Parts: sequence; structure tokens; C-alpha cells
Amino acid sequence: MDPTETSPRARRVGGGLLWFAALGGALSWTVHLFVAWATDELACASGHTTLAGFPVKGVVTIGVVLPALVAAAALATAWLAWRRTSAAAGEDDPRMGRAALLAVVGLAANTLFLAIIIAGGVSLLVFSACQR
Amino acid sequence: MTVQTEPDQRRPEVAELEHAWHERPSLRTWLSTVDHKRIGRRYMVTAGVFFAIAGVDAIIMRTQLSRPNNGLVTPEEFNQLFTMHGTAMIFLFATPMFFGFGNFLVPLMVGARDMAFPRLNAFGYWVFLGAGSVMFISQFAGAAPDGGWFAYVPLTDRPYSPGRNLDVYALGLLFLGVSTTIGAINFIVTALKMRAPGMSLNRVPLFVWAMVGTSFMVVFALPALNLANAMLFLDRRFGTHFFDPTHGGNSLLWQHLFWVFGHPDVYIIVMPALGIVSSVLPGFCRRGVAAYPLMVLALVTIAIISFGVWVHHMFATGLPFLSYSFFSAASTLITIPSGIQIFAWLATMLRGRIIAGVPFLFAVGFIVNFVLGGFTGVMFAMTVFDQQVTDSYFVVAHFHYVLFGGAVFPLLAGVYYWLPKFTGRMFHNGLGKWAFWLVFIGFNTTFFPMHVSGLLGMPRRVYTYPTGLGWDPWNLLATIGAYVLALGLILVATGVVQAIRRGPAAPDDPWGADTLEWATSSPPRPYNFAVIPQVHSLHPVWDERSREAMATGDVLAGHRAVLTSELDGDREGPVEMPESSLLPFAAALGLLFVVLGLLWGQYWLAVLAAFAVFITLARWLWPPHRTPEEAGVAREGRAP
Repeated sequence: MDPTETSPRARRVGGGLLWFAALGGALSWTVHLFVAWATDELACASGHTTLAGFPVKGVVTIGVVLPALVAAAALATAWLAWRRTSAAAGEDDPRMGRAALLAVVGLAANTLFLAIIIAGGVSLLVFSACQR
Repeated sequence: MTVQTEPDQRRPEVAELEHAWHERPSLRTWLSTVDHKRIGRRYMVTAGVFFAIAGVDAIIMRTQLSRPNNGLVTPEEFNQLFTMHGTAMIFLFATPMFFGFGNFLVPLMVGARDMAFPRLNAFGYWVFLGAGSVMFISQFAGAAPDGGWFAYVPLTDRPYSPGRNLDVYALGLLFLGVSTTIGAINFIVTALKMRAPGMSLNRVPLFVWAMVGTSFMVVFALPALNLANAMLFLDRRFGTHFFDPTHGGNSLLWQHLFWVFGHPDVYIIVMPALGIVSSVLPGFCRRGVAAYPLMVLALVTIAIISFGVWVHHMFATGLPFLSYSFFSAASTLITIPSGIQIFAWLATMLRGRIIAGVPFLFAVGFIVNFVLGGFTGVMFAMTVFDQQVTDSYFVVAHFHYVLFGGAVFPLLAGVYYWLPKFTGRMFHNGLGKWAFWLVFIGFNTTFFPMHVSGLLGMPRRVYTYPTGLGWDPWNLLATIGAYVLALGLILVATGVVQAIRRGPAAPDDPWGADTLEWATSSPPRPYNFAVIPQVHSLHPVWDERSREAMATGDVLAGHRAVLTSELDGDREGPVEMPESSLLPFAAALGLLFVVLGLLWGQYWLAVLAAFAVFITLARWLWPPHRTPEEAGVAREGRAP
């Protein structure tokens, strides 16, 4: 095998990382929204202040912090992918051009999704779980 | 401008191609056609007719509200007018109109010969026509939906809304949902599998990105509305209690389900319009749209974030503040990708060489109005402000700036821009400019005063109002504006008819634009491209190598198209395309009778029609005798 050629496994891992870089922030924001919002609204509507012994606010906090960390990881991955692909994007190779596009989109999108999670999560410092 | 992008029409293989794709004009071919261009034009014309009817509804409403204590219509008639106006503009005009644009343009822009599923495409159109007809006929019969376009329960549930009005709403939208869903799936598969070789994701036109984003939103958002409507119909007809709190149901469930669909739907309507603006500007600025990767980013992120903002429509329902804050954050920050697009268009104009043609004027008009609509949109993202103006005319002003300013202005830009391609005729420039100024002035005169009347406390959906509240001058002004706007829109229609009947023949690429639809004749031949394009850049018509490949490449013979890979546009092989068929029409007709049977309570008819649909679909899906090559299963360069 040509030493400059990448193995199928490396290609799969690289492809997976690129998709994580492009969509990781969006997926983590989706999880954040459904966990944090649904927990808060459903628990408060049914009059509960705890879920399986955990305070509702604690569950919501986890629904903010963990997705934010995943979005930050996706952002870092996108940064690395962008550095590796941007140099080759000008060549007439559709694959490199497409990979560079996904990396740039991931870079900006992950920043945006991380900002949305943080902006929504800040309210945990202000409101109690079921305050209306 | 004319560029050589097509092979000589006299070549024998091109003549054979003409024969393979030709449809002889007859009633049968009219009903059975699967040509995406004919279907696209039908979508546009039908949606245009629905727009006109819903526009007449609006004019009647504005006339009624022109002065206090007016008695032109009764409260019951007014309820039907505003409900049908909203429902029709959202469901029967905006989305189908853009689907019409997409139908005509997406295959051409990606260098394909048709949509991925041509028969499904025809089926989608006939279903749309059936659903629209049912809903509008109900209006002429005085039984139109009358609970507002978002049909909140418990008002729309029994016993508060007896009669068939809301059954028409629930069943009509369920019926229409079939059309919208299959149309969206068709766009996604067409854009992923039918792109010309070489068109990797970074070379896809922004309009196609917009249509794909829109289609994904439809696929994920529409099930929520379908579910809600099915539950509403069951509540109303069969006595279930999904939305009845006295029997364990939840009336807020309707609002959640409706707006899970409803807010993405705003972008389902606006996003193709954004794609149109990105298509129009290069032709009139003599350069590609600035910041292509960021434009793609904006389209993709808008499509995703639009699913996380729906609760801002429910800020006055008493949910916990913490819940509001998550949606408030998303509603505020979704303006960033929208803003990116605005700045990219401004940069394109700043760095380009502007030619102020009619499509360009409408694109600029869009930017002005959409920014104003976006500005009030950010205000609504703030919970405290939203709660002050909920259900006031301020809301009416805001969403008309977003939906008319943000969707109809680009739509009109698109009509003028692609009219030469749609019809093969050029429009009258002077008439187009008059139309623009009347529409622009009329639109702002109609809707800007509604901000003021809303802030002065005028609630939406009132059929009349007493004098002395300070609302009178603003309402009169809005009504005058509505008539000016109507005049402008009539001029647009006149211009289109004039172009079709007397306009000079259009060249292939009258604007010197960059995307592949301009590499075909005006109007395009039934097979679109004799030579399947080989794409080498984002601007294939401006690119020497892509043009040369189209002019000198091999003609793809037969009733066939080319499949390519999803990400990089690698050629996978030719595939036989389906012939025209009456089956889509028959299936849609059967489905119409299912809906009518349910609506009239004649369940035997619904069951019988459902059985007919099943038989039609079985005939449709019965595997034809084809070789693997014909079916597209065998790939080029692979041993059988």
C-alpha cells in the first residue's frame, strides 16, 4: 500500500469527525432544548420539584452544561478540520472543497449553537425552576 | 447575452432525444404529464389563482376596517375571511408557489433531466389542486374554516365551533400535507442524487441549498401539524378528548404541536425566497454572491434553529420563565444567520457592478422590508415586550413584513427573473418598474400603520371598532395602501400576460447569469440538457471548462438521466426515467374522495375510495420488466 494513502478505517474516522465537526453543535443544542425545556415544563406542570430525587433545577443545569461541553468539542474539531482542509480547498478537487465547506460551516454553526445554549442557560442564575 | 452551451440541434442523436421526450399535446398528456417544467408552471399558476382569491379576501377585510362601525360584512363572514386569508396565503399560496419554482428550477440548476420521482411529482400537484379546491369551495359555500389560521382549541373544538367549517380545515390541511411531504422528499432526493457530475456540495447553487433546507424542515415539521389536525378531527367527529382538559386532555398541546410546525413554516416560506435573492443578485451585480460558505451556513442553521423557537408564540400562556428563556435565546440568536445573508447581499452589491433591472429592484425592496420585519421579530423574542403586544395589530404588521416583505418581494423578483426561462418571452421593463413602485409603496402604506394601531391597542381579528380610540386614521391609511398594493399586483399579472402574448422572444441567458438553467434554451427542451453537464465550478455558465463540456460532450441518449453520489457528485450511471402516466391523477382523485367521504360523514365512500387508492398505488408500484441498466441498479464500470 502506498504510505501516503489513508487506510479505510482512518477514512471512516476522519469522515465521522468531519460530520461531528459540522453537526455536533446542532445535535447538542437539540438535546439541550428537549432535556432542559421538557424537564422544566412537564415537571412544573405536574407540580413536582424533584425528579427521581434530583431537584428539577439540577436536571436542567445538567441539560445545559453537558450539551455546551459537546458543542465546544465540536467547535474544536471543526477548527482542526478547517486548518487541515482550507489549504487544499483552492485545488480542483471536489472532495477537498466539500470538506473545507463542511469545516467552515461547522466552525460558525458550533459557535452559534454554543452561544444559544449559554444565552439560554444563563437564566438558571436568575430564575427558580418553576417561577412564573 | 448568449453563450454556446448546447450541442447542435441538428445532430441525429439530439433529434432522437427530442422524439424520446416529446409529449404530443392532448387532454391525455395534459393529465398524465410528469415533466417537471409543466408541473412547476401548474403549481405557480394554481398558487397564483389562490393568491388572487385570498387577496380579494384581504381587500374585503380592509374595506370593512377602513372606518369605524362599518357593516360591509357580518362578524361570521369576517371570521371566515381572515381565517381563509391566512390559511390560503400560508398553505395554498406561499409554499406551493415556491414548490412550483423549485419544481421548474431545481432539476435545471443541478443539471438533471427531471425530478427524481416524476410520477410522485405529478401526484403531488394533483393532491395540492384537490386540497385547495376543497378549501376554497367551502368558502363559496359559506362553510369555510373560521377559527383563525392557527385554529386554537378549545375555540375550534366542539361545542364552540359546530358545523363543518373546522372539519374542512383539519381534513383539508391533512390532504394538503400529503402533497407537501412528497414534494419535499422529491426535492431532497433530486438534489442529493441527480446533480450533474462534478457538482460537489460546495458547487451547489444557493437556491438549491435553500430548497433542500426547506424540504428537510417540511419533512420534520409537518408531522406535528398532521398529528394535531388528525387529533382535532377525532375530537370533533368521534368525541375523543385530546385537547379537552376536563377529560384529561390538554389545550396547550394544540399550541405546542401547531407551533412546532408553525415557526419552522415561517422559514419554510421565507427560505426559498432567500434562495431566489441569492440567484437574482449575481446576474444584476455581475459577480457571485459574497461569502458562499457563510450563506450555506446561514441556510443550514436557520433550518435547524427554526425548530427551537416555537414557544415564542406562546409567551403569553403562563409557562415557567426558565422555559421561556431557552426559546428567547434561540429566537434572538437566529437573527445572526439571517443577518449574515443580508450583509452578504450588501457586500455583493457593494463589490459588484449593479444593473438596476426589475428583478433587482424587487430584491432590494425585499432587503428593506425584511430587515424591518426582522427588527420587530427581535422585539418579539423579548418575553416582556411580546406579552404587551400579543394578539394586537403590531403582530399583524410584523408577520406581513416578514412574509410579504420577506417572501412575496423575492417571489416577484423571481417571476421577472425567470419569466424568460419559464415562457421563452421577455417582459415589458417599464411596466415592471411601475409595478415595483406601486407594490413597494402600497405594501408599506398598508402594513406600517398597523405597527401604530397595534401599539395603540387595536386587537387583531376584530371585525369592526368604535370611533375615538385613535385607530381611525391608521386604518384608513392601511386600506388606501391595500388598494395601491392590489393595483401594483394587477400590474405584475398584466405584465406576465403581456409577456406571454406579445413579449419578444427571450435569449437563452438574457441576464448573463451563472447557473445551469441559463445554459439551456428558453424555454428548455423537454429533456433539459442533451449533454449532461460536467461541472467544474460554482458558476458553471461563467466557467469556460463547464461551458465547453456542455457544448462538445456526448449526448445521453434515450429517456434517461444520470445518478451521482450525494456528497461529491461522482457519476454513478444512467437511469431510465418513468414515462408519463394517468396513475398519479387517478390516485389523487381517489384521495380526494376519501377526504370528501370523511368530511360529509359518508364513511362508506371514504373506505371505497381508500380501496381504489390502494389498487391504483399497487398498479403504480408493480415492478416493470426492466434490465438492471434501465432500472439504474447496474453501475457503470461494475461487472454484472
